[in-house]
Amino acid sequence: MLSKIVKSGLTRRTFLQSTAAAAASSSLPRAALAVDKVIKIGFLAPLTGPVAAWGKPGLDGCEIWAERVNAAGGIKLGDGDYMVEFVGYDNEYDPAKARTGATKLIREDGVSFIMMLGGDTWPGVQPVADKTGMLFSTLLPSDLSPDTTTLIAPAEVHPIYNVTGVEWLAENKPELKTAVMCAQDDALGLPSVATYLAAFEAAGIEMLDDPLLFDPATTDFAPVVTKLISGNPDIVCLDTCYSDYVHPIAEQLFQQGYEGQIISCTADFYDQMIEKTSEEFLEGFVFQFPDFDDMALNAENINFEDPNGFYFEFNKRYPGQWGAVSWEYASIMDLWKAAAEKAGSAEPDAVIAAMKDGGTGKHAFGDASWWGEELFGIDNALVGDWPVVVIESGKARIKEFRNIPAWYDKHGDLLVKHMKAYDQMWDQRS
Amino acid sequence: MRNLLIFLAGAVALIALPHGLSFSQQEILVFLTINILLVSSYRLLTLTGEWSLGHVVIMGVGAYASALFTKEMGIYVPVSILLGGITAALLAVVLSFPLFRMKGFYFLIGSFAAGEIIRLLWKRFRDPFGGPKGIKGIDPMPDFSIGIYDFDFFEPVSYYYLSGAVVAVCLWVLWRIERSPVGLTFHAVHWQDKLAEASGVNLRAYRTLAFAIASGFAGIGGALLAHYVGTINPNSFDVEVMVFVLTWAIVGGTGTFYGPILGCVVLTILNEIVLREMGFEQMRPLIYGAIMILSILFMPKGLESVVQKIFSRKAPDNATGQEAKT
Repeated sequence: MLSKIVKSGLTRRTFLQSTAAAAASSSLPRAALAVDKVIKIGFLAPLTGPVAAWGKPGLDGCEIWAERVNAAGGIKLGDGDYMVEFVGYDNEYDPAKARTGATKLIREDGVSFIMMLGGDTWPGVQPVADKTGMLFSTLLPSDLSPDTTTLIAPAEVHPIYNVTGVEWLAENKPELKTAVMCAQDDALGLPSVATYLAAFEAAGIEMLDDPLLFDPATTDFAPVVTKLISGNPDIVCLDTCYSDYVHPIAEQLFQQGYEGQIISCTADFYDQMIEKTSEEFLEGFVFQFPDFDDMALNAENINFEDPNGFYFEFNKRYPGQWGAVSWEYASIMDLWKAAAEKAGSAEPDAVIAAMKDGGTGKHAFGDASWWGEELFGIDNALVGDWPVVVIESGKARIKEFRNIPAWYDKHGDLLVKHMKAYDQMWDQRS
Repeated sequence: MRNLLIFLAGAVALIALPHGLSFSQQEILVFLTINILLVSSYRLLTLTGEWSLGHVVIMGVGAYASALFTKEMGIYVPVSILLGGITAALLAVVLSFPLFRMKGFYFLIGSFAAGEIIRLLWKRFRDPFGGPKGIKGIDPMPDFSIGIYDFDFFEPVSYYYLSGAVVAVCLWVLWRIERSPVGLTFHAVHWQDKLAEASGVNLRAYRTLAFAIASGFAGIGGALLAHYVGTINPNSFDVEVMVFVLTWAIVGGTGTFYGPILGCVVLTILNEIVLREMGFEQMRPLIYGAIMILSILFMPKGLESVVQKIFSRKAPDNATGQEAKT
C-alpha cells in the first residue's frame, strides 16, 4: 500500500536505509570509475548573504582539510579507508532552507555528519535531526538543549569564550574602568551581550549604559556610534557583531574621534578595517580569533595539525578571506575523524560515543572537557582554553590562552544571572 | 467536458508531481505552494492599484498568531491556521485606518513602516513573541489516516497535499472574488477611481476590503509555513523576502491571475533547483539578479505576456482551421 510505503520512510532505521540507497544510487557512475570509497560530510551554512562570512570561509577551509586527509590516505574505518568529500548547501541563514538542505544532505547525498553555523537556522533543522538521528555540529552552543542529543558544539563555545578577552583586558589594562556595548538584536547578539555583561561585572568594569541593541537591518551606524560614545567610555565593546557591522562601526568610531579601547568577539578581515581607518587606530584592538600563522599555535598542546601551513595554503587560495570560521569547521572535522576512526564506523551514535568517551576531547586549542549542562542542559560543548588576540602593528597576535571553565568556576553565577535576564538559558528558549 | 478533462488531468498531475521529485525538491515544492498563495493574495491587493511592502509581515502575523494559538491556548492546528488568517485580516483592517489616508508611493512607504513596526514589536516583546529568536517548537499538523493514505506531516509529500488543498481552495476563492462585482469594483478603484467614486463607490472601503482579504490569505500562508518548519522569527518575514514577492509579481506580470503564480514558479525553480543543481550555489544572487534585469528589459509585461502571445498565435490558426472546415 502506498500509505505503508510512505510511512516506512519515517523511522530512523528506514531513513538511514533510504539514505544509503539514495547515496549509493546517486554515486553509481562515480563508484564505477573510482575504486576509493567515499564518505560524505554535509556543510549546511550560509554561503551567500550577510552571514556568509561565517559559512563560506569555513567550507573553503574544509576543502583544504579534505585534500590533506585524502592525501594522507583518508579516514580509516573498520571496513577500509575512505576518501572525504564535502557537500555544501547554502541555507542563506533561513530555517526553512536549512530544513530543505538537511533533508537533501541526509536523504539524497547520504552524508555521515553535518556541520552547521547554527543560530536561527537550527530550529528548522531540529525536527530533521530528531527524526533521523543524524549527528550535527553547531558553532553556537546556545542551540544546545537536552532535546537533541546528536547536536554537538565541539569547536567554539560561543559566546562564553568572550570572557577571556575581558579578563585579560582587566588584568593588563587596569586603568580601563568603564565600558559601553552595542550588538545586533538577534539570536547571536543577545547571548553574547549577557556574556560580556557578566565578564565586565566580574572584572569590576562599570557599564555606563544598557547595551545598545540595533536592528540587524541597520546600515547607518553613525547615530549608533554617536550615542555609544556620548558618555566617553574607556572601552567600546562590539559584542558578536557580524563583520558587516564591525567594519562600519569601527569606521564610525574612527571618524567620530574615539581614542579608547575596543573589544570585540571577531575582527574578520581586519586588514580591510585598517585600510578604512588606520593602523594606529586599531592598535590594541582585542578580539578572540587568531590568524593561524601565529607561532603560539605551534605549541605542543595545540591539537590543530600544521596551523601555519593551513593558514598559508588558505591565504594562497583565498587571499584576504581568512576569518573567524576558516579553521573552525576543519577543527571539528579533526575531532570527527578521530572519533570515527576510534569507533571504526561513521554511524552517528558510534561517533558521538567515541567522541565523548572519557568526558574529554582534543580541542584545537588544547585538551578540553565536554561541558555545559548548567547553561545548555547537556554536556555537548567541548570547552577548554581559548586565545586572547590583540592587533599589534597591523597584525593579530595571540597574547595568551585562558581557561574558560576556570573563569566559570569563579563567576558562573554572574553568567547565569545575565543569561537569565536575557532569556538565554536553555530552559527559557521558547 | 473538455475543461473538466483538463481540470482532472491537471489535478492528477499535481497529485503525482511530488512522487517524481527528489526529497529536497519535495521540500521546495511545499514552500513553493505556500508562496503561490502569498503572491496570489498580493495580486488581489494590487488590483486596487496599491502596492504594499508589508505583505510578508502580514503573512508573519498569520504565522505568529497561529503558532501562539496552538502553543499558548492549545487550539487544534487546522483551526489555528484559519484563526491565523483571520487575525491577519483583522490587523489589516486596523492598519487600513492610517494607511489608506495615503495613496501610491506614500502607501508603499507607509506599509513598509507599518511592517517594520510589527517586526520590531515581535523582537521587543520576548513574551509572547520570543524576541529575535522567535518561536520554535511550533506544533506540527497532527497526523491522520484516510485509509488509503497515511498523512505524516513531517514528510513533505503529506504536507504538500495539505497545503496544496488549502491553497487550491484559497486560489479558487480569490479567483471568484476577482470575477465577482466586488473584483470588478477593485479594478475600477484602480483604473477609474474618480468615475467609480462619482458612481457611489466608497474607494476607501473597497481598498480596505482588498487589503483585508489579501492579508487574510497571506496569513493562512504564514500559518501553513509556521506549522511545517516548526519555527518562525522576525527575520523570516523581513523586507528581503518582500523583495522576492515583488520580483515574482513583476517578472510574472500582474495583468492576469496566473501571472504572479508563473513568476513565482519559474523563479523559484530557477533559484532553488536549476542554479543549485548547476553548481552555482554561491553565485545564485548574481545570476538571479541578472536574469531578473534581463527579463524586465526584454519582457516588460512579464512572463504572462509570453503565454498570451503563444495562445494568441494558436487562436488565429484554430480560427483559420475552423473557417476552412466551414
